[in-house]
Amino acid sequence: MQETLQTLVGGLSLGAVYALVALGFSLVYRTMGLVNFAHADIAMIGAYAASTFYLTAKLPFALAMVLSILITGAIGLVIERVLRPLENKDFDLMLIGTIGFGIVLQAVAILIWGTTGRAVPSPVRTAPLDILGVRVRTYDLLVMAVTALAVVGLGFFLARTKRGAAMQAVAMDHEAATAVGIDVGRSNALAFAIGAGLAALAGGLVGPMLYVDASLGGALGIKGFAAAMLGGFGSINGAVVGGILIGVLDSYTAGHFQGYSVLATFLVFTVAIMIRPMGIFGERTVSRA
Amino acid sequence: MKSRITAVLALVVAAGALPYGLGSYTIHVVDIALIYALLAIGMGLAMGISGQINLAQVAFFGVGAYCVAILTTNNGYGFWAAAVLAVLATVVTGLLVGIPALRMQSHYLGIVTLGLALGFINWITNADISGGADGISGVPVPTLPGVDLSSEYLYYYLEAVVFGLGLVFGLFVVHTSLGRRLRAMRDDALAAGATGAEIPLLRMTAFVLASLYGGLAGILYAGLIRYVAPETFSLGNMFILLAMVIIGGRRSLVGCVVGAIGLTLVREWLSDFSTYAQLGYGAVVVLMVVFAPTGLAGVPARLRDLYRRRFGRTSDDRAELRPFTPYTPGPEPSQDGPLLQVAEVSKDFRGLRALDEVSLTVDAGEIRGIVGPNGSGKTTLFNVVSGFYRASAGTVRFAGADTTRARPYALSLAGVARTFQNLRLFGQLTVRENILVALDRTRTYTIWQYALWQPGVIRRERRLRGAAQSVLERYGLVDFAEAAPASLPYGIQRRIEIARAMATRPRLLLLDEPAAGLNGEEVQQLVRIVRSIRDSGTTVVLIEHNMGLVMSLCEKITVLSSGKVIAEGTPAEVVAAPEVIEAYLGDSDLSELGMSAPPSAERPSPAKEATS
Amino acid sequence: MKADAADAARTLKVEDLSVHYGGVCAVRSIGFTVEPGESVGIIGANGAGKTSTLKALMGLVPRSGGRIRLGDRDLTRVRARDMVRHGIGYVPEGRHVFPGLPAEKNLLLGAYSKPWDKETQRQLDEVYALFPVLAEMRDRLAGALSGGQQQMLAIGRALMSRPRLLVLDEPSMGLSPILVGSILDVLLKLREEGLSLLLVEQNAKLTFGATSHCLVMENGEVAMTGPSADLRHDPRVREVYLGL
Repeated sequence: MQETLQTLVGGLSLGAVYALVALGFSLVYRTMGLVNFAHADIAMIGAYAASTFYLTAKLPFALAMVLSILITGAIGLVIERVLRPLENKDFDLMLIGTIGFGIVLQAVAILIWGTTGRAVPSPVRTAPLDILGVRVRTYDLLVMAVTALAVVGLGFFLARTKRGAAMQAVAMDHEAATAVGIDVGRSNALAFAIGAGLAALAGGLVGPMLYVDASLGGALGIKGFAAAMLGGFGSINGAVVGGILIGVLDSYTAGHFQGYSVLATFLVFTVAIMIRPMGIFGERTVSRA
Repeated sequence: MKSRITAVLALVVAAGALPYGLGSYTIHVVDIALIYALLAIGMGLAMGISGQINLAQVAFFGVGAYCVAILTTNNGYGFWAAAVLAVLATVVTGLLVGIPALRMQSHYLGIVTLGLALGFINWITNADISGGADGISGVPVPTLPGVDLSSEYLYYYLEAVVFGLGLVFGLFVVHTSLGRRLRAMRDDALAAGATGAEIPLLRMTAFVLASLYGGLAGILYAGLIRYVAPETFSLGNMFILLAMVIIGGRRSLVGCVVGAIGLTLVREWLSDFSTYAQLGYGAVVVLMVVFAPTGLAGVPARLRDLYRRRFGRTSDDRAELRPFTPYTPGPEPSQDGPLLQVAEVSKDFRGLRALDEVSLTVDAGEIRGIVGPNGSGKTTLFNVVSGFYRASAGTVRFAGADTTRARPYALSLAGVARTFQNLRLFGQLTVRENILVALDRTRTYTIWQYALWQPGVIRRERRLRGAAQSVLERYGLVDFAEAAPASLPYGIQRRIEIARAMATRPRLLLLDEPAAGLNGEEVQQLVRIVRSIRDSGTTVVLIEHNMGLVMSLCEKITVLSSGKVIAEGTPAEVVAAPEVIEAYLGDSDLSELGMSAPPSAERPSPAKEATS
Repeated sequence: MKADAADAARTLKVEDLSVHYGGVCAVRSIGFTVEPGESVGIIGANGAGKTSTLKALMGLVPRSGGRIRLGDRDLTRVRARDMVRHGIGYVPEGRHVFPGLPAEKNLLLGAYSKPWDKETQRQLDEVYALFPVLAEMRDRLAGALSGGQQQMLAIGRALMSRPRLLVLDEPSMGLSPILVGSILDVLLKLREEGLSLLLVEQNAKLTFGATSHCLVMENGEVAMTGPSADLRHDPRVREVYLGL
């Protein structure tokens, strides 16, 4: 019981990060119908940038995060602009294009930060709490809180603001959105920038939890992807639930299969997604002949 | 043709002479390049030819290499015995990785395959049997009587032979029955299903092919380097492989090979600046997908296009649509029950009822018209009959058998063919290949011939090509045989769709708005074609909103409105029915206007002139 | 929604409008005018080119020729998303509401081109007064509404921008005769309030009832024009429809 609970708590904090990654995926997918394979590498850049501002420039952690979010937001705008000619045309080509951007971003990271990774100390230095015999690191609580805040914020933006509503409208019907006066291109660019910002948030937060190096994107990204799919691509709630599920699964397999945890995680994930390809909150789309 | 054979011979000679001019390090690089070329062929077959996003190719590579390494060093197998088992293991892995493709496509498939590749990397990095992060060293040199394969020069010849055979086999697959079906599936899986392709099996086949090449490359790698370690099979290398295929041109196997060899050489050449090289080919991939999606392999065709546009057309000017040659009338269909029987079929979409207890019986030898206002469920009915949708309630019987739950390919093989409202030709195939796909009536299991009895494939191919030529001639399409459908005028594309549907030799032909977008003359040709098709013994059901066409062509018309059958009868009866006028014009009063006697279906033309 | 004096001069004038898809000519140089406060209908069978005409007018499909003027303003080069800012509201064919958003959000998005203020709220109330059922369904997702309610929502959404000209593409599509009747009532009410209407329809009864002037299209061209009252009794209309 104690052990299970400890696994759960361990999974929750990583799950919160996966949820953030998945949230960014989902937002871009929901508004543009684009699966951004560079998303993971944007998160990696975010992690590096945040750690640099925090460790090298000695800025406060929160400020370092904000700066790295701004930088990745700009990267997002560039990617969207370059791939815009392919929008609503060739889905697979666009996907490969984002993989190309991922390769570029990895190279850029190595050029700037080198191949040796860096460990980021936790910005919260209080001792772990003991809740019902379960050890909880305070930084993990911070990560969960920030994630919760981001989810609520994004939810508010989409549900309560004009731009947020417009962004969703574009995704649902871009012709009708055009007819009511929405600039589809600008809306997509904004969605992409927010998605990239969320990636940077995830990357910055995961810095003190994992080791920051150029391969950080790979693991984080694919699990974020898996989370988005498991929850149902394009669904905000799905991203959160999917992220937590993958996080818990990850922490469970790490406890039980040690070295084979990634393999075990992806096998379970593959089986789950085959049983329900549209994910937990996803809707089956009707394919028209 | 002759120049092509000369070119191939020259290449073979050059490949044979190559080692004599190279240093020992360069030959090593060439050996590596050939291995990547094999990998790229497999990747191209899955991604470019079959449209299956496969990001697990490095895992196939790894399974092949690790199997050889483990079986030779751990279990004491000889190299070749281990190699045979490694191929089997890789193909089995390919089948397993391919299973998700049955349920998902595109980005979903990309993520799942990438995830499985990551899982594989995780496993080899941690398992004891694979030597963990250190890998396995001491793989024995493959033995070949009289040849010392520890020499990289001689190993080159082994590789060249395997690679040559692999490329030839790959090209053989691409340009014959199986490859054509794979490409048709890539261009339009629904239309491919409607012409009899078993999509699930073909998807699995794509993964088997990819894994086969991956496995071969892995074996050669193990024999060449004699040491395997996880970093060779990393995601980074997966993406480099992807870059090779995209830059070379994913739809051309030769392009994939050029991309693989080229990028391996460039990578080696820039090995001191590897990060900049990575930056470079990432950027090239992005530029390629935006500006040259067909890759290097597509450049000649683009230049040719440019040249043609610049200097006007040259040879195409004489191309014309020839007249249709009618079929020889077949025997009167035997009247033992209706050919198609739709009984109380309903279809719901998320609470929206598109079809509401529709019943319809079509006898053999009929030309039946289905008409109705926009959104009345006509195309939904076709989709249910041809197996694209499964009815929410009710049954469909074709030729006496219950086909309510039959898949499109099964219906196609049973004799149901269809065209599509929005034209679904296979865009990257030539017109001839479009016809060839439909003519091919074999089941997918006959692909065993590719492995064991290639002359059978060639013989079948020859037979199909003969048949395709006569279909093209009958429909007057000979001049366009080698053209891409999208480059042709709309009217011709419509005719190709009918030709393709008829190439499956159906008993029932479903035409979805065959006259849409046609001009007057083309509509007249269509009438002749449809009549001839019926006279040849094929029953025709057509959806059409060109009422003039329906009136002159159909003996019996069924009218749908809001998913229900509201009238059925001869054209004269249907036109006079107040329900029909109401459905179309929204006003039953109008039915009393003007004409007191309903017009006869036999003389539609005078009335037509009166309106125009 | 009253037309004021300044709008009196704002006649929509479409000249020589043509549309080609690939090599196919869908609309062949058609022209028409909609006077302020007037309501004009375009009818014809499926595939006659009605929807293409409207989409070309709105800039949603590329035009291969033609000029569009509204009053003394040239709208030929105005982008689709800016048409609404010139006072043209558009109700697309097949409704095209935003299915995953609540009904009220759909309506508010209709006013996207304006600030969301008290004025918008008043407009919202007016739309709810016009379609009381939408007020009841305001929190329901648009995709979960019935076909008729979705059509009302689409019309309401277009009205939210306070257009001077409302362009409707086949509002009767897939609706039962009773619902078509209530759509007709709404159109008549809007006409009374001085809104100009351009209605594309297959349903001739609805069109004749709602408009003063009609064009009958066939094969991308105008086959007939005339006052709706006259066309209503013209047997040739039926021939165009049934392709006799």
